[in-house]
Amino acid sequence: MKSIEVNGVGKKFTLKHAGRNTLKASAMSILRWRKGREEFWALKDISFTAESGSTIGIIGANGAGKSTLLGILARTMRPTEGSVAVRGRVSSLLELGAGFHPDLTGAENIRLNGSILGLTRREIREKFDQIVRFAELEQFIDIPVKHYSSGMYVRLGFAVAVEVNPDILLIDEVMAVGDETFKKKCLEKIAQFKTEGKTMLIVSHDLDTITEVSDRVLLLDQGRVVRVGEPGQVVDQYKSLGFQKAGAVVIREWGTKEAVVSAVRFTDGKGGAVERIASGGPLVVEIDYRAGKRIEDPVFGFGITKSDGTLCCGSNTIIDAFPVDAIEGEGTLRLSFGMLPLLQGKYYFSFSLHTRDHRTSYHRMDNWFSLWVDCPRKAEGVANIASRWERK
Amino acid sequence: MSAFSDVFDKREMLATLVARNLKIRYQGSALGFAWTLLNPLFMMLIYWIFIKFMKFPMSIPGLLTGILAWQFLTMCCNDSISAVAGHPNLVKKIYFPRIILPLSTVLANLVNYLLSLLVLFGFALLAGKLAWGPGLALLPLVVAIELVFCLGLALLVSCSSVYFRDTEHIVGVLLMAWFFMSPVIYSLDFITANSRIPPWAVRLYVVNPMAGLITLYRAIIVGGPYPGVIALVAAVVVPVVVLAAGVSIFRKYEPDFADEL
Repeated sequence: MKSIEVNGVGKKFTLKHAGRNTLKASAMSILRWRKGREEFWALKDISFTAESGSTIGIIGANGAGKSTLLGILARTMRPTEGSVAVRGRVSSLLELGAGFHPDLTGAENIRLNGSILGLTRREIREKFDQIVRFAELEQFIDIPVKHYSSGMYVRLGFAVAVEVNPDILLIDEVMAVGDETFKKKCLEKIAQFKTEGKTMLIVSHDLDTITEVSDRVLLLDQGRVVRVGEPGQVVDQYKSLGFQKAGAVVIREWGTKEAVVSAVRFTDGKGGAVERIASGGPLVVEIDYRAGKRIEDPVFGFGITKSDGTLCCGSNTIIDAFPVDAIEGEGTLRLSFGMLPLLQGKYYFSFSLHTRDHRTSYHRMDNWFSLWVDCPRKAEGVANIASRWERK
Repeated sequence: MSAFSDVFDKREMLATLVARNLKIRYQGSALGFAWTLLNPLFMMLIYWIFIKFMKFPMSIPGLLTGILAWQFLTMCCNDSISAVAGHPNLVKKIYFPRIILPLSTVLANLVNYLLSLLVLFGFALLAGKLAWGPGLALLPLVVAIELVFCLGLALLVSCSSVYFRDTEHIVGVLLMAWFFMSPVIYSLDFITANSRIPPWAVRLYVVNPMAGLITLYRAIIVGGPYPGVIALVAAVVVPVVVLAAGVSIFRKYEPDFADEL
């Protein structure tokens, strides 16, 4: 039997411009409305079915339409076109604690949120202790939730939502919040739902989890289904797709230019310029600066980013306890790396010159310089951490 | 009709939300829920002192009757501004009949209103102004009609404020004008028996259901004159029409609330 049937669903949004809260902006938007507002399709031609008892993972970049799709299945949004058939009681873990009121206590919020999610008062009474225990909030259940940490908030939301005992469960990025222990608990609960034969749709950026729990994975890109199929294959396709996009680190230059980093030279420490270095080798960077006026207490900073956007190391003259009391005119700083234990790949260097309180950036060059690192060991990741295998 | 069965299915949620609305209003205050009774009590004291000095041409219980009935309506309108628009998370993430949100704010205000009516009765009794007539049996009916009216307005306001944030300001201005256009701090006679106001303007004035409703309250509680036929008919028909319009408009736009918030 099919629990969910989605047929040619499309969802069109009308883009609104910020600042609707004032009379003027409102009058402006009415004028714009007459001219025709901007429209865009968050979802287009979406069709798929979910067998009852199956788990479907939904992946895609930010803005691919994942949350919109879950919203339509949860009936909070109606599709602009196409049809959706959902058979069974739906519970959505779309935003944990969505119905919480900050001024009410945890206990009061359990009753409130439970009734919003469709539990009867009797059910809530019966399951109350269980919910509190699952959320591990025994000591805090009688204080207002505005004093909760975000982790506590989410635990309570999850504990209530899973008690609704739905036939179909929609889960959006639940695992992204909370600590490792909580994530493990979520996964156990998901596994339990799976054995109980519940249908689940899970949105997550955690690709390993998606691969593990899903029977099938649906890959969305710009509101369209790119592929539906076996989890491992679809996730691999997403990875290859994703890296091309994420590979574009932002390269830009900005600042007040009251003082600038006028030149940067990468050297091997003996004076020779380098464009590529060997992993584990030394690197000395010479940073020329020029200040048009005297600047007290400036801070120089650097950052090393891998081509996939991972920040490998970032520091500055305050963190490294090398105070520069003032600069005026031209000068040069030397930044020495004894050894760079990086794996093979292209790395981007950022340099900055700013005030101590970060309020004013005199000059920032984000990912402005690149350096290739050669590494004989073809391991994955960022750092070349020495390791050795042996049999005991 | 499906609107009512939807709400009936979710009656437990509705009850919880009403309780929440009441609870939050007095959350953190030392006296808590007692304020529901203390507020009208202090108000009555203040008016009593005020009228003693100002030689106002109306009895204090009669004045308070008008003010309490009027407050019920304004509180409903003001609270419904944020009834839907103030809960974007709830509306975007969880499905339930949205009508529950304005309905729960109106019902919470009804509880407040009934309690302040109790205080008013006590006050009128002490002042020796309470009318012990058979008219008292009509009171639940009059409250029910005002409830219908308030709910209709709350639906229109809560729906409108999802689309136009200006609703808040517009409602404020309209309520202010409406206050003076209703016999809240003066009696209906002041308008109907005023020879300087032309008859057509009087007829227009009494189409406002609050004219008939407040006068009915006064007639029942402190024994004033009953309103005329036009005012009576308007007091019944207009609320019903407003509720019907409110329900149908709210239900038409309800599915798109999540897109707008």
